[in-house]
Amino acid sequence: MNEPLIVCENLTHIYPGDVTAVKNVNLKIHKGELIGVIGQNGSGKTTLVKHFNGLLKPTKGKVIVKGQDTSKMRVQDLSRNIGYVFQNPNHQLFAKTVIDELKFGPTNLGLPEDEVNERVEKAIAFFNLEMYRDHHPYRISFPLRKLVGMASIYTMQPDVFVMDEPTTGQDHITTRIVYRLIKKLRDEGSTVICVAHDMILLAEVVERMLVMRDATLIADTDPKTVFSDKELMASTHLSPPQITELSYRMRSKKMIGSIALNINELIDASSKKYNLKRSK
Amino acid sequence: MRGAVLPISMVPGDSPIHKIAPLPKLAWSFGVLIISFMTRNPAILGAIILAGIILVTIAQIWKPILKVMAILFPIMVTTVFLQSIAPAFPRPWTPITDIGPFTIYQEGIYSGITLFMRSFGMTLFSMVTIMTTHPSDLFSSLEKIGMPYTLNFILTVTLQLIPILQHEFTTVLSAQKSRGMKGTGFGAVLPSMVPVFVGAIERVQQLSISLESRAFGSTGKKTSYRNVVMRGKDYFILVTGFLATFALGYWIVVDKSLDWSRTMTFSPGLSLTLVITTALIFASFVTIGVTRVLRA
Repeated sequence: MNEPLIVCENLTHIYPGDVTAVKNVNLKIHKGELIGVIGQNGSGKTTLVKHFNGLLKPTKGKVIVKGQDTSKMRVQDLSRNIGYVFQNPNHQLFAKTVIDELKFGPTNLGLPEDEVNERVEKAIAFFNLEMYRDHHPYRISFPLRKLVGMASIYTMQPDVFVMDEPTTGQDHITTRIVYRLIKKLRDEGSTVICVAHDMILLAEVVERMLVMRDATLIADTDPKTVFSDKELMASTHLSPPQITELSYRMRSKKMIGSIALNINELIDASSKKYNLKRSK
Repeated sequence: MRGAVLPISMVPGDSPIHKIAPLPKLAWSFGVLIISFMTRNPAILGAIILAGIILVTIAQIWKPILKVMAILFPIMVTTVFLQSIAPAFPRPWTPITDIGPFTIYQEGIYSGITLFMRSFGMTLFSMVTIMTTHPSDLFSSLEKIGMPYTLNFILTVTLQLIPILQHEFTTVLSAQKSRGMKGTGFGAVLPSMVPVFVGAIERVQQLSISLESRAFGSTGKKTSYRNVVMRGKDYFILVTGFLATFALGYWIVVDKSLDWSRTMTFSPGLSLTLVITTALIFASFVTIGVTRVLRA
């Protein structure tokens, strides 16, 4: 495999007051990977991903982004490579209009004006924000504001897209846009790291899962292995998507042969078992 | 990530100071405040500082006190420097020596040192009171002596909001940095103020709704979860506090010889060292402050 984008070597982070939030994490993230990070509240997920763009510096160990040690780099410089979408869009937005908000990032990167405009127009079209382009970000509904937050990072076109709880508080339409965004980013060759409690989202889009518990990384494998490991899931107090739970029980009753992560997989699994032809 | 939250809060403990009821402690802090502003006599102020140091030792709160002092000390030292060259004191001033374009005055150094001692003593006493008293006890005691509940509540909420807003500010600042915020200084930090203030206003709105839905401001006598009992010992400390303040105040007013501003002299060498040291601390303080802001 080619050179990894992000490498964590024995990463440990201790907050003031001796709170160990991340302990001895070793990790390599390559270009084009779709990664989900799960774990209970307070298990260190957010702390871990905040190291990727330098918002936090390791207490012990190293984080290397594109071959450079982050401990001496500024967040502003790392932001060119690593985009970070905050959980609460209110922390991110401050401009007077949605358009200005989207321009802020690429302008900071020093891109020429027509390039900035081109990216902004692309983002407006993709996130379906045409109606709101001249609205004040605080005047639009929360789900849309969250989209503006994502779009404001999207226009910077970073190599790695870190998202903290992208679907929390979203309605059906905007959740669909988030799904589409993640798939589009993958098609464009970006790396996506998604911290989430939304297991359905992860089951559908993610290819690799990092499971955190009590500040340690306890699993780093594909979602199917994670979701079908009952003990692992129970130890993190998380439950797999209902469809996986269903397929799990169906498998134990020998109704199907393998675990399914989404509806299509369950249909596939059962058609294989009963030799049914899948109607399109 | 976590901002430098002001370390002024209760330090749990089991010392004799912790066990004293809030009112006597408040009375003593208030007495120290009054006396400190009544006199410039270094001996009295020194005695207050000494008493404060003993109290801090008994209460075993040196660590948090030092944290507070690390912030206040440079400011207090700065007053010594500024007072030496521009005394806040009735003329005539007696010049001691010259340093560059500045003249150092006898009264200035006296005034600077006493101001320093004043703030030091008052900080010690008020910090001991705050750090050994549970906030709820403090406020329910204040209510007992007639402070309106609403005012009390405003104070509590304000004290709680400060660390929350500090935390919010660091989060917002890191969000801007994540978007490649260029530039330095106040101009660059200014956009971050918008989300912080919008957040603060939203928070207060929500708070008021949730308070009203839980019968805030309803009529009738309020009860308190924490019950503060004043024992004989507490009354004794309270009364001694008042008496000591009164007696000391009376002495200060009557005995004019306590004013040492003209009799206490400083040699030119001592004054020079003092002024230069404080000037250096002042300068480094300003430099650190400015670079912090520029680097943010």
